[in-house]
Amino acid sequence: MKPFDVVIVGGGGAGLYAAMEAMKTNPSLNIAVLSKVYPNRSHTSAAQGGANAALANKAKDDTVEMHIFDTIKGGDYLADQDAVQVLCSEAPKIIRELENMGTPWSRMEDNTIAQRPFGGATLPRCCYCSDKTGHTILQTLYEQCLKKGVIFFNEYFALNLSVNGSRSRGLIAMNMKSGKVEAFPARTVIFATGGYAKMYWNRSSNAAGNTGDGQAIAFRSGIPLKDMEFVQFHPTGLRKSGLLITEGARGEGGYLVNKDGERFMARYAKEKMELGPRDLVSRSIETEILEGRGFDSPAGTYIHLDLTHLGADLIKSRLPQIREMSMQFEGVDPIEEPIPIRPTAHYSMGGIDTDNFGRTAMEGVYAAGECGCVSVHGANRLGGNSLLDILVFGRIAGHTAAEEARKFEPGAIPEAEIKEQLDAVRGGMHSSGHYERYGALREELGQTLARNVGIYRESSLLQKGIQEISELKERFKKVRVFDTSDVFNTNLMQVLELKNMLDLAETVAAGAYAREESRGSHTRVDFPVRDDAKWHKHTLATLVNGKVVLGEKPVTMGRYELQERTY
Amino acid sequence: MTVPIDQHTEGGKKDVTFRVFRFNPQVDSKPYFDDYTIPVERGVTVLRSLNYIKEHIDASVSFRAFCQAGICGSCGMRINSLSKLACTTQVWDVLAKSREQGIIKVEPLRNLPLVKDLIVDMDPLVDKMKHYSNWIDSTMPEASMGKKEFLISEEEFLRYDKATDCILCASCISECSILRANKEYVSPAVLLKSYRMNVDSRDAIHEQRLSELVKDHGVWDCTHCYRCQESCVKSIPIMEAIHGIREDAIESRGMKDTSGSKHAEAFMSDIEKKGKLVEATLPIRTNGVIWTLQNLMPMAVKMIMKRRTPPPPPLVKSARGIKIFREMFREMTEHVKQDHKSHKK
Ligand SMILES: Cc1cc2nc3c(=O)[nH]c(=O)nc-3n(C[C@H](O)[C@H](O)[C@H](O)COP(=O)(O)OP(=O)(O)OC[C@H]3O[C@@H](n4cnc5c(N)ncnc54)[C@H](O)[C@@H]3O)c2cc1C
Ligand code: SF4
Ligand code: SF4
Ligand code: FES
Repeated sequence: MKPFDVVIVGGGGAGLYAAMEAMKTNPSLNIAVLSKVYPNRSHTSAAQGGANAALANKAKDDTVEMHIFDTIKGGDYLADQDAVQVLCSEAPKIIRELENMGTPWSRMEDNTIAQRPFGGATLPRCCYCSDKTGHTILQTLYEQCLKKGVIFFNEYFALNLSVNGSRSRGLIAMNMKSGKVEAFPARTVIFATGGYAKMYWNRSSNAAGNTGDGQAIAFRSGIPLKDMEFVQFHPTGLRKSGLLITEGARGEGGYLVNKDGERFMARYAKEKMELGPRDLVSRSIETEILEGRGFDSPAGTYIHLDLTHLGADLIKSRLPQIREMSMQFEGVDPIEEPIPIRPTAHYSMGGIDTDNFGRTAMEGVYAAGECGCVSVHGANRLGGNSLLDILVFGRIAGHTAAEEARKFEPGAIPEAEIKEQLDAVRGGMHSSGHYERYGALREELGQTLARNVGIYRESSLLQKGIQEISELKERFKKVRVFDTSDVFNTNLMQVLELKNMLDLAETVAAGAYAREESRGSHTRVDFPVRDDAKWHKHTLATLVNGKVVLGEKPVTMGRYELQERTY
Repeated sequence: MTVPIDQHTEGGKKDVTFRVFRFNPQVDSKPYFDDYTIPVERGVTVLRSLNYIKEHIDASVSFRAFCQAGICGSCGMRINSLSKLACTTQVWDVLAKSREQGIIKVEPLRNLPLVKDLIVDMDPLVDKMKHYSNWIDSTMPEASMGKKEFLISEEEFLRYDKATDCILCASCISECSILRANKEYVSPAVLLKSYRMNVDSRDAIHEQRLSELVKDHGVWDCTHCYRCQESCVKSIPIMEAIHGIREDAIESRGMKDTSGSKHAEAFMSDIEKKGKLVEATLPIRTNGVIWTLQNLMPMAVKMIMKRRTPPPPPLVKSARGIKIFREMFREMTEHVKQDHKSHKK
């Protein structure tokens, strides 16, 4: 195959913006987007709330500077302040750009883009399109890419980077439709494969494919990952699926109730009750469950989100989505009975370590979106900042790669490497000695993570988690791919995803064990306070001789000094 | 694999047999069905059941799924002969309506090429989106983008709000009666998307898109069977989009185009100018009564109802063809009126 100038792995918001920008930067380049699902299926479509930008359409006195401060404070001072500066000052421009390209934003009375309040923001600056913001942004980007004639390799599963010394030669991927392993020699590769929060499996709000493939590939090629221990939990996920019930339910007056019929939030946040901040509510629910006041079920322990007292009319008119979801995914009508919920892993702050231009430690390799870590979210992401992140840094990475592509000579990917990948992929298909079921391993991984590397973390639990993950990795060596066909082998794909999750889980647990403080989403019961003297720094995780080695990187400060984070 | 069907309820669970369409192009010369019987409790979706089957019984059962929340559009399939999303469909709900007790039949979507088991090829849909320019070609030059917003009224936003709910799941495509006969047909989801672009004031290529839509395999091929709209997993009023494009085509392009709009135009102008139906100019002559009724009448009647043209006067000639036509016209008017009532939400 003719070498590409830019190969983008991932067709979510970050990948598509990167593709568009790369084409704009240099239309003569040979650019391709490779995605394991059709781009419009990417998880960006699940974002309902919106994207932050200080347009000052709603709050006339809003400024980029306030957005910057909210973001830094929200991230518990672990975000790099120069990166946050880029994020927030590019925000108004990029939201308008999307608008100019056709994103159907909801509108204010004066016909400008509508904005609403969102957690952690001083003023209402979250731009939205009803409750389908991510979906409409993704549609717009996909449409524009089709218009520009971007070349798509849909339903291709990225397997590995081909590396020559300190440089990448391109990518090796599997064509799902044929089962063939193919080489994509490329001057530059951009990873935009989304988050890794699905490793918590059915304790996660994420799509089945948010398995951190790009991060795992980069990690195995020796590229460092940053701040992997920071995983955000949302308080109200549905019991069976982990799917999200939005804050709206509590906003309208829903109660959180334990099995003794008690509104337990009185114990944790006497005044705000159910409306306390996300992390506090998550921790409170988790405490109730851990202390035995949850409801037991085969699908796990849960508590009740009770809306029944709100009455049918209010539920039907104000919370129709939530009602529909409860009925579709739990078979429960919230007018009649309470919704079974528990906290759910929602967003991964960590990712491939990049500079403010999307560059990673390896020449010719870039990363953007939830897959990368610049870092703009620090220890805790604010709602509405992630869509912004993928757009702004997707664009920057696309631009950088396009500018730098011709600097690099394209290398050919040796046949032997392709063969090696094919053998690795088909390894699990042999009946002899392979018997472990991927479903069981995946389930156990989710359980051990939720239990030991979840909302509450503590030294002995984390040790146990690390131990169990390494046992699962051992067992994975004996995993069996039962489907031996070439055409669209989803069984094989799930096994490959599981491998990626196992590799990354190790870095999450190792980072969490090392970080002896509580900051943002990372809560250590044995180290309950933020320890700036020792831990005001990023964690780096690198694979050296098959072992996770932890390092560190200073946080770039700026105008804002460290302060206690209170709301 | 066949397990005896023994339906019973026990401990809040029901034994359900999933009769799954199987086809692996590498080994099978033709498709067949496999039965998997599993206990299913209330609240479980068809997708969760398929996941269970894949994890515990037969890992080779192949289907697509991603978000599991009804938003990505991956899991469209036919469940008891109706196209819908497996991830938002409750097993017990389907079971209550199953024709064969305790059995749920699961098949791939129709009208798209089969890849394997429940997986169909989505590329034809993407190709059509490209063919009909399903994107905004902005009136704003690329170089000036990002500087200021277009000012869009709530009223305009509402024109395309519902259409942008579409998740390209292809359920409507699977149910479309024209697509069964003609795979080239533009297809309902693409008509919907085209309409959404055409009513957006930021778009600059309305004319170009429209001129493609009125060609062969385009908007005039639709028979107004309403099946797409009835099966839409997001309850989008697709027919409004189709009517919208047709009206737009007649209004802004007159009778320049292909047979469809030419006939509609002739029909309308007959009513308008002469105040009576002239048999000789009716499209029945060229295309037959059925075709005319199916393709043109609903549109014409809708335009009449919207008071774009005076209502047709009593028919004057008593020729046999006209007599049939008059009767059918009356029926059709009623039918369309009712249709409008029952489909307008
Ligand atoms: C329920 C929910 C609600 C949310 N709401 C909001 C919100 O309101 N506001 C906000 O700002 N953020 C929100 N977020 C977060 C936000 O949606 C995501 O962080 C963001 O969309 C990630 O975009 P992305 O482009 O980085 O990745 P994704 O959209 O996840 O795309 C990843 C892409 O990579 C591809 N890919 C992955 N692995 C491979 C592989 N091995 N080979 C080939 N391709 C691969 C996939 O096919 C996909 O195209 C929400 C998240 C969730 C889960
Ligand atoms: S109304 Fe038209 S587009 Fe819809 S299903 Fe029928 S023929 Fe197809
Ligand atoms: S119009 Fe409805 S049924 Fe058709 S693809 Fe879109 S969402 Fe699916
Ligand atoms: S899996 Fe996404 S719509 Fe069903």
